[in-house]
Amino acid sequence: MDLNIDEDDLNACVQCGLCLPHCPTFRVTGDETMSPRGRIKLMREVQDNDAPLTSEVLDAFSTCVQCRGCEPACPSGVPYGHMMESARETLADAGQMTPTWQRLAMKPLANPTLLNAGTRALSVAQKLKVVPERLGLSNEIPLTQSKLEATGSDVYLFTGCVMDTMQRSVHAAGLAVLTAAGFGVMPTGNAAPCCGALQSHAGLASETRTLAEKMMEGLEPNIPIIVDSAGCGAAMKDYGHLLGTAEAELFSERVFDMAEFLAMHMDRLPEPAAPLDLRVAVQDPCHLRHVQRVHEATRTMLAPYVRELVELDDEGLCCGAGGAYSIFEPELAGQIRDRKVASINRATPDVVASANPGCSMHLGAVGVPTKHPIELVHHAITGARGL
Amino acid sequence: MAGSKLSNLTKRRQRAESSGEPFVDALRAALSHNRVKWDGASRSLHSHDASVFDGGNSGPVVYPETTAEVQAVVRLANQHGRNVVPRGAGTGLAGGAIPLGVPVVVAVTKMNAILEVDEVNRVAWVEPGVINLDLTKQLKPLGYHFAPDPSSQQVCTIGGNVANNSGGPHCLAYGVTNAHVVAMEVVLPSGDTAMLGGLEAEPQGFDLRGAFVGSEGTLGIVTKVAVRLTKNRPAVRTLLMAFDDVRDAANTVSDVIAAGIVPAAMEVMDKQITAAVENYVGAGYPVDAAAVLLAEVDGLDSGVDIDADRIAKIGRSNKATDVRLAESEAQRQLLWKGRKTAFGAVAQIAPDYYLHDTVVPRSALADVLEQIYEIADRYDLLIMNVFHAGDGNLHPLIVFDGRQEGVLERVHAAGGEIITASLDAGGVLSGEHGIGVEKQKFMSRMFTNDDLDHQNRLRQAFDPHCRTNPGKVIPSGHSCADIQSLRSVPNTVWG
Amino acid sequence: MSATLAVTDPTLLAFAEEVGETDAVAIEGGRTRWDLGGIPDGEPRLIRAPEGIVEYRPEEMTVQVRAGTSVGELHATLAAKGQRTALPERGGTVGGALAVGENDFRALGRGRTRESLLQVRYVSAEGKVVSSGGPTVKNVSGFDLPRLMVGSLGTLGCLAEVILRTNPIPAESRWLHAEGVDAQVVFDALLNPSAVLTNGTEVWVELEGHGPDVEQQTKVLASLGSFSDAEAPELPAHRWSMKPSDAATFTPVDGERFIATIGLGLIFTDSPQPRSELDPAVVVISERLKANFDPTGRLNPGRMPGRN
Repeated sequence: MDLNIDEDDLNACVQCGLCLPHCPTFRVTGDETMSPRGRIKLMREVQDNDAPLTSEVLDAFSTCVQCRGCEPACPSGVPYGHMMESARETLADAGQMTPTWQRLAMKPLANPTLLNAGTRALSVAQKLKVVPERLGLSNEIPLTQSKLEATGSDVYLFTGCVMDTMQRSVHAAGLAVLTAAGFGVMPTGNAAPCCGALQSHAGLASETRTLAEKMMEGLEPNIPIIVDSAGCGAAMKDYGHLLGTAEAELFSERVFDMAEFLAMHMDRLPEPAAPLDLRVAVQDPCHLRHVQRVHEATRTMLAPYVRELVELDDEGLCCGAGGAYSIFEPELAGQIRDRKVASINRATPDVVASANPGCSMHLGAVGVPTKHPIELVHHAITGARGL
Repeated sequence: MAGSKLSNLTKRRQRAESSGEPFVDALRAALSHNRVKWDGASRSLHSHDASVFDGGNSGPVVYPETTAEVQAVVRLANQHGRNVVPRGAGTGLAGGAIPLGVPVVVAVTKMNAILEVDEVNRVAWVEPGVINLDLTKQLKPLGYHFAPDPSSQQVCTIGGNVANNSGGPHCLAYGVTNAHVVAMEVVLPSGDTAMLGGLEAEPQGFDLRGAFVGSEGTLGIVTKVAVRLTKNRPAVRTLLMAFDDVRDAANTVSDVIAAGIVPAAMEVMDKQITAAVENYVGAGYPVDAAAVLLAEVDGLDSGVDIDADRIAKIGRSNKATDVRLAESEAQRQLLWKGRKTAFGAVAQIAPDYYLHDTVVPRSALADVLEQIYEIADRYDLLIMNVFHAGDGNLHPLIVFDGRQEGVLERVHAAGGEIITASLDAGGVLSGEHGIGVEKQKFMSRMFTNDDLDHQNRLRQAFDPHCRTNPGKVIPSGHSCADIQSLRSVPNTVWG
Repeated sequence: MSATLAVTDPTLLAFAEEVGETDAVAIEGGRTRWDLGGIPDGEPRLIRAPEGIVEYRPEEMTVQVRAGTSVGELHATLAAKGQRTALPERGGTVGGALAVGENDFRALGRGRTRESLLQVRYVSAEGKVVSSGGPTVKNVSGFDLPRLMVGSLGTLGCLAEVILRTNPIPAESRWLHAEGVDAQVVFDALLNPSAVLTNGTEVWVELEGHGPDVEQQTKVLASLGSFSDAEAPELPAHRWSMKPSDAATFTPVDGERFIATIGLGLIFTDSPQPRSELDPAVVVISERLKANFDPTGRLNPGRMPGRN
């Protein structure tokens, strides 16, 4: 079966295996079928040798977190993420992957009204303790949200879907810090409802493209777009590849992660009222470290504002959140998280800084104290108490 | 995993209750359903390691978690008349872990605990699935490391290191795996366990530990290893030298050793491989030099400066065009990252590679290299060289596109000539990759029938019935190489 | 030094002829450990391995030497080029030192005997010259018979000729001595001492390396106790082998004198070590090895490594 994967990409893998330890599912299972090398070999067998799509092959594909931790580890530069997206898109189109309930679950993401209603319902449900534990949701889903007010028009702050309903306080902190650095900020709000990252992971490519086009239409040209969710930022920086147009390329070029942007403007950031008296472990979201590869900026941005930064010893191995992965594959996601939590415990931090809402929720669900890096900066600048 | 909250994955895995194969059902009863894989995709993936060799589909693939489970698998295999092939991370380059004759593949990746770090005896007890670099990282806060550092160290397992007597750049000063394995528990082909070696200064009896290390998984399955802890050196200097001629780099290496200096590592890369590596790591390798020599000395501050100075002088006297010291630990790490990922980086140039591994006397390096380039020309192939120059360990890398007609024949013919050239120069077949299935047919160029017969006598003292990783190392014509059951099952399509 | 194939050296062939194919033989070196693993049974024919250095290549750090050569003579030749091997010097032959497999008491600095053997040629029970290993420092071509031969007491084959790894003799070497310091603390504080010895009250340390390195390590010692230059201590005749952790806390029976090697695990004292039993699974393999290599039991009959 043609999976629509580029033949040269498939051939770029020389099966050396250097990717294995950087793959979270291989790490917890030790199983070759759950490794990038194994999955690529399976893609090859299916596409080139017409091997049948057995349930084991589909499992191998659907258990991939798509963290892309294998990509920086690959000396041959195999574009694994794009290959897996193509495979999933083909299989989803053929009705082999991404069951209807998963597709339905994604629907509200593109629709802010629906999403808000859903989140409120979930919040109430959680307070009534009727939410299944296996959903792994963080403890406090907010019931109401304060509105974000624009402070100018120098930059966009991408507010997105899940992030905006779950963690609007992060947006508020980002908006305040950007403004304090002298940038007038426009929250994107309904002009750009969703980046399409989760849909893309699920192989729902046409939905993703529709969302990308919608966003490009909704936003003014030439204004930098600041993103405080690593997963969204990675997806938006990939629009050039996704749509294959010059316009999309240009769009992607003006997308910046919050820390990436601020790290370039450290001279404009206010001094801390007092550096937070905290030992902060930086947890790099995969899509910041392996895809955007701008994770160093988080450290640059945070350093002046906290007492101590500490590195985790797992070289950026995924935490298992993976967008909707923790909901679709809770067992593996939990095992992967256990490794991450052990690494965090070895670093003995007061708080973990994570620039992705998925990671924060996934880690928060087992009691790891997480904060978005921009919240820490905001606290340090304003001298706010009660962190 | 709580039974009441079975996830999709567990449910999927337990879909099929009986495999229809008594052997597989017996394995599942002994381990668990999801740690015995029998589906076509798994068996196909385990048909190969990182080499170009393919063994055909494996039998069941098992993931034991304890010594007792390994014993159970081996005993069941004996009862059912099946062979056993141990497997670590599958990064071997000689086909040592490929399955011949539909054996049960015993993947030790789940046995990955560091059991004990014993500082007084300077050993760590580890399970075979522990990743080499993970061990070194875990030891770092205590001030130790595990010295063998093969290029695959970020992924290869200690069990694999034991099986292959692995080396690596830093074995020049510290010795290969054999020098760093003190004792080990193994499951013998009979299914019994034995403790080989010991923490004592001089364990009694034959050195079965020494015989087991490097036996490529043919003597049993290692289940616990006591590895030696090497103290981290407080000072290290890494020199990067550029040359206009590979011969000058090779001569520098020879002269350094002749001067009585044993650096921690001495590595050479030629121009083409340097370009590929630099493109990946951006470490500042000089891409216009014909050859780059990476030399590292470690020890105390005072001594490393003396050695670094002397090596730099020797390099200059051999016409080094540029001599640089790594300025920071970060740059040093980047240089090594480049060196250690060199093989994978060649896929930027062509989709396939064949990495050779021979050793020649250091003084013959320059001559043999010249012959290798000549062989490449003659066969119209691109051959790059990246090697552990300090111990004469050559790694000619043939880069090609397997989709071209007839190219594989040329690749194999050129490889044969490289091996012959190395042996003629007084060298040996393999420095660290082992024989596996790759070099079996060349064994008789290095050893007489009597020599090979004696190697086989050692093998059969452990494995009289040739059940463990049969068909490897010893060439055809000797027992354990030709047993009837070694037909391979075609590996293409699973059902 | 050529690759191992096809031995044509008439000296080795003559030795093979002497070993022959029938009747019991026992190979003699310097007889410094004649009763180790059991005294040869009956009256075997006594043979000696050929002598002489075949080829010394200092630039390769290897030496090809016949097994009957004395270790002292070998080391004298190597010293002229500033090199040495790991073999202990105790008056015997190269073949004897390898067949016995004991380490030098300064093995931490000189290397272990078992790691020094690169290539071995021995005469088999069938009277044939067998080669294994190779002339290069790094080699994983086939099964590692050289490792098996070290410490095998000539029970699997008669060592004829070997290639050994040599090492540079460090620029400076110094013995220091102090009283009332903890030997384990001393060992842990140093980077790579060649030897740390103690008799329970005194400590001896051998430092080797570049002059400035020895100087630096001497300063480390000075911070631990009042060390002064000394000679190496005299070692009692019997050697015990144990874990380094046990050696560090060793107390002898009846207050016998002893010298413990810290970090290595050897004890030198006046009485022989009580032997312990081998793992039964190891005994099974050992007996099969002996049967496979020497089916008629004609090589050093009565001896077996690990036997009392």
